[in-house]
Amino acid sequence: MKINISRHQIYILLLSIFLFLFVLVFSFGLLIPEGQEYRVKRTALKKVQKEFNQYQVFHDETLTTLKDLQSKNRNIITAFDRPFSAERFEKQHKLHFSTLTISQVKRAKDEDGFSVYEVNTTSHISSPTNFYDFLDALNKGDWIIGVNFPIKFVRDGEMIKSSFTMKVYANNKDKNASASTSSAK
Amino acid sequence: MKYSYIKPRKKTPFTADVQLIVTFFSITIIMLISTYAFLLFKDYSFAKERANLMQSRIELEKNIEDMDQKIAYIKEQKALSEKVFTQNMVLKDSIANLFDLVPERITLSRADLLQNGLILYGVTPNKDVYNFMLQAPLRSIFQKTYTSFYPADGGWLHFVSTNYVNEDEGEELNSEN
Repeated sequence: MKINISRHQIYILLLSIFLFLFVLVFSFGLLIPEGQEYRVKRTALKKVQKEFNQYQVFHDETLTTLKDLQSKNRNIITAFDRPFSAERFEKQHKLHFSTLTISQVKRAKDEDGFSVYEVNTTSHISSPTNFYDFLDALNKGDWIIGVNFPIKFVRDGEMIKSSFTMKVYANNKDKNASASTSSAK
Repeated sequence: MKYSYIKPRKKTPFTADVQLIVTFFSITIIMLISTYAFLLFKDYSFAKERANLMQSRIELEKNIEDMDQKIAYIKEQKALSEKVFTQNMVLKDSIANLFDLVPERITLSRADLLQNGLILYGVTPNKDVYNFMLQAPLRSIFQKTYTSFYPADGGWLHFVSTNYVNEDEGEELNSEN
């Protein structure tokens, strides 16, 4: 039996085989490896996205904590930032004293990482109650001030002359750390 | 001389069979190339998105570190301010207690409050009043108490009372404050 295949049919067959081989090589050589890489990259991206989301949540929590702390302690933060002004101090606390004199502000040794300035004060009070009121007012004042020993009370006629040292605490500018500036983005 | 009455059809290599095969493979190849292009584009966008996320994460880390520092600093400020405010209140109570300690019959002319002691100057009608009404409570507070008297006008006595707590206890008190 003789199989009669025309030349045209042979061309069609060869063309089909060539195209089929091209499809096979393209699929297995490029498409499938690329698909695998796509899946790997997609998984890696999901992992990075998940980590990023965790960081974002932690960032938001930290920001909330910071804002909360800043709003609750605004007075304290501002007090540490504010430079001490003897004139303003006298103006604020003069009502507790008959006379109030503040000597020159001098830098003392840093405490707990904060700058400390010493201020010598002499004053006249009519009663110890004035001094108690002054101590109460200090805690609500514009600066963080601690009254330091020695404190001297001397009778001066009908008045009491008091002299004491105050320590004014402020941010240490050398540390370059000011918490009052909100830079949370 | 004509052998046929019909017009001969043109011979072309693009027969119906070839057209069918070419169409089929063309569609297949276009689909494969489209898929490949899509995958390439997605790979590129994944890589870009990943790089962006990493950059954002680094910024977040930096921000978190910055905020942590600020939180720690505010806590330090708060702790120090509370310590100072407490010291002021303790001082206020100490001075109030001191003045409450002095009986009406004894008049103070001067009081020096020291870190670890107290020096009182004043006048007393006699030694007994001083010993019973002022020295006794002072002794209960201070470990070392020295008093010297010298005469004043009208039979009264000037006194200088020097009182100290032990250095160790003084340091303990300071450290507690």
